[in-house]
Amino acid sequence: MLPVLSLIVLIPLLFSAFAFLTKTREQARVVALMGTLITLILTLYMYFSFDSSSAAMQFEELASWIPSLGINYHLGVDGISMPLILLNAIVIPLLILFTWDDVRSTPNRFYGLILAMQGAVIGVFVSLDFFLFYVFWELTLIPLFFMVNIWGGPNKRHASIKFFIYTHVASLVMLLGIFGLYFAAWDQTGVANMGIAHLMSHFPMIGSGIARDAIFLALLFGFLVKLPIVPFHSWLPDAYAEAPTAGSVLFILLKIAGYGIFRVILPMLPATGTPDMMITILGLLGAVSIVYGAFLALSQKDLKRMVAYSSVSHMGFVALGAAGLVALSISGAMFQQFSHGLIMSIMFMSVGVIQASTGTRVINDLGGLATKMPKLAVIMMLAFMASLGLPGLTGFIAEFMVFTFSYVNVPTFVILALFGVVITAGYHLWAMQRTMFGVYNGKIGEVFDLSNVQTFSMAVIALLVLYFGLNPSPVLDMMITGSNEIVSLMAAMGV
Amino acid sequence: MVDLMLLAPEIIIALTGLIVLTIGIFMGSSSKNILGYIATAGCLAALAMVLGNFSASALMFSDTLSVDPLSQFFKLVFLVVALIVSIASIKYIENNTDTEIFYCLVLFATFGMMFVASANDLMVLFVAFELASIATYALAGFEKKNPRSVEAAMKYLLMGALSAALLLMGISFVYGATGTTSIPGIAQNMDVLTSNAIGLLAIVLLIAGFGFKIALVPFHMWAPDTYQGSPSVVSALLAAGSKKMAFVAAFKVFIIALLALQADWRMAFAILAVITMTYGNVVALSQRSVKRMLAYSSIAQAGYISMAFVVLTPMALTGGILYTLAHGFMKAGAFIAVAAVVYMVIKEKRDTEIPDHLDNFKGLGKKMPITALCLTVFVFALAGIPPTAGYMSKFILFSSTIQSGMVWLAVIAILNSALSLYYYARLVRYMYAMPHEGEKVSEPVPYVAALLISLVGVLAIGLWPEPFVEIAMQAASVLVGGI
Repeated sequence: MLPVLSLIVLIPLLFSAFAFLTKTREQARVVALMGTLITLILTLYMYFSFDSSSAAMQFEELASWIPSLGINYHLGVDGISMPLILLNAIVIPLLILFTWDDVRSTPNRFYGLILAMQGAVIGVFVSLDFFLFYVFWELTLIPLFFMVNIWGGPNKRHASIKFFIYTHVASLVMLLGIFGLYFAAWDQTGVANMGIAHLMSHFPMIGSGIARDAIFLALLFGFLVKLPIVPFHSWLPDAYAEAPTAGSVLFILLKIAGYGIFRVILPMLPATGTPDMMITILGLLGAVSIVYGAFLALSQKDLKRMVAYSSVSHMGFVALGAAGLVALSISGAMFQQFSHGLIMSIMFMSVGVIQASTGTRVINDLGGLATKMPKLAVIMMLAFMASLGLPGLTGFIAEFMVFTFSYVNVPTFVILALFGVVITAGYHLWAMQRTMFGVYNGKIGEVFDLSNVQTFSMAVIALLVLYFGLNPSPVLDMMITGSNEIVSLMAAMGV
Repeated sequence: MVDLMLLAPEIIIALTGLIVLTIGIFMGSSSKNILGYIATAGCLAALAMVLGNFSASALMFSDTLSVDPLSQFFKLVFLVVALIVSIASIKYIENNTDTEIFYCLVLFATFGMMFVASANDLMVLFVAFELASIATYALAGFEKKNPRSVEAAMKYLLMGALSAALLLMGISFVYGATGTTSIPGIAQNMDVLTSNAIGLLAIVLLIAGFGFKIALVPFHMWAPDTYQGSPSVVSALLAAGSKKMAFVAAFKVFIIALLALQADWRMAFAILAVITMTYGNVVALSQRSVKRMLAYSSIAQAGYISMAFVVLTPMALTGGILYTLAHGFMKAGAFIAVAAVVYMVIKEKRDTEIPDHLDNFKGLGKKMPITALCLTVFVFALAGIPPTAGYMSKFILFSSTIQSGMVWLAVIAILNSALSLYYYARLVRYMYAMPHEGEKVSEPVPYVAALLISLVGVLAIGLWPEPFVEIAMQAASVLVGGI
């Protein structure tokens, strides 16, 4: 059979190398588009031959890599990872179309980094070996670092280094946790093995509860910083806001932290020494992020920073849904990741267009843009509505599921988080009103609306937001299968 | 009956050194480029011989030399570094009338290091150690008209002489107590040392002696000045080569000969490792000279490798040994990249006061794309970002520390590793994201060739580590026999 998983990781990496070698902008963007389109076709092939009702790993590939340390090249997808791969495979070619007419220095590097990023992110989603997982996980740092550092805003140096150090330290703490798991399993079986499933199945047998808690918290810390969750979020607004539009979208597509929570954290949770405390940590941080992130977004003057903080708020739903610990709340959290990727891509693209067109992102300096930029106004409006959770769009389904089904296990946190919804609606509408509607601010001068390629790429994502909002089952079904599998794994570990 | 085939690599290197010297004397200074190719060929031939006899095991010359996987592994490290340095030097040394002396010294230094790797007797070890050291003292001061180079050589020579004296004194204590200088012989008579204060004194002296060469804090004072002042290709040889010589010597002396005293020296190494890695990284943060920064980073890396002495499990030793090879590629590559930049700066006659100043790396990504890309990979590897050699060796070394329960040590090492990322990332930022002037320059072929060899090494160990881990394990098994 076709090693399709290896291909969707290697093709972007290979085309990344080609893109670096190109000489002109024309060549670079064509190479980039080709690479991502091939990846998209392979992903769609995978998606259509994917069995949503099966919880087993599909398209599995296994080869020995470093036998002396029990490290294998082991790939596979299931309902937890497939939607996220799909998200990346769909949005990145559209992102390349979106940047089609951008004039910037060294386009070969720009497109090369986007492709490298795609390969690394998909690599994380398909890795079933912890070593491989960590390699791809760390690899995602480098393209983003350069993305912010080379093409970022005025504060790019500070933002890129802060992002790099902050998330690298978190990854290293996570690595300590991985070491703990690895040696605990090694001691129990006498055989080295880095397989994720293997390590997790030996986690409950670790003798002391404190050791289990320490390992669990080390892993959780790594994922929560990357997610990010208040109080570990401070790298995010800087990085998101300073990144160029394409970089911000890539950050949004970097759903590896939430994925890690579903793949690793949740199945282990019941076997920790103090499961109740861990649920409280996860749920509380989630709820606090939703409310606090929304408050921060409310107070922003810069439109892009507002969108960045709204991202902190929305990622709180992932933690809250995970803390809900039932299959449907977990599916809601997964759907939130998928939905957030689509919605935020449009929001950051919109901000990018506004900045390019008007030269500013300060909300108070804008106003009445809808009259001059009707195409943007329609698409942006839809994204804002989806983001605040209007029924019929993806954001609603995610939030609804998280709230409804998390209530069973963590009612207090759900009630706390509900306050966030009001604020969320508030800042979205207020921002929309001050930028798009009202009297056109004459000081802005001439503005131009979306170009045709930009309209196309943003409209496709917007239509997906609408489509999955009305009919979520094409991805939700596989998420539910995946969540059921997580719940049964949890049960096996002793809830 | 001595199997001379097993000594063929050493013989080839020594003969090449003599041939280069002889030919060079009779040649006009314009045609001396050929010497670099001869030296390179010699290194390649020796490398082939080492790889061909990798798992050989033999004792020779009244058991004073031992050819085993450990010595073969380190010969591999030294020859790889010598190869990279020889190739890069073809550009560095062109138009210099003393070409033959330069190559002869590089080859003799390598010859000395290889003998240290095989030494099975403290006297042979000491003599070989000094042979390599004296050659490198001369190399450090090779730019006689450059005051920095002269200062580098002076500091290195004085400190080196002191450390040699301490080392010799330590050896004499060991000899006095056990009545032998043979490494396995000492191991057999270890009970004399354990019950005697002389053992402790010997350990202190030996750690100080090797600590100088390894550049462990507080014996590191010479290293930043020497690495900065020496020609960059020589800095590569010092950081990537002669430092590893001190490691293999320390492995032999402490882990084979003085294992019975491990309770004492393990503690000492634990303290030194922590101080060294932290000090090196913290001071590197504030450096503006890239060579100085690499020197401090090299000090920090020595701190990581020293963890192998503390953990002392087969896996930790494997990690430490693999790290020496990985560091050989990464550090030699990084210094060669700096050499290429310095070459460019001097050619353009810009700011020659400190040619390796960070400002001269602005816009390198545009001006010298290959050099910049390689240097980026090397510094990310030094920081331990996958999939590189640096990550792989840190992975084994740090994880073995966790395995043996020394979580605190692993945490300190990991935090250090994160700290180091700051200054490595800054260098990368200068190369790619800083405004600059100047056009693309042509990158000298020898430097590029040396860089690509290092790059292949760094990526090979990162992506396909199995064969390297395998040979590092074999090498470690020589040490773990007694543990």
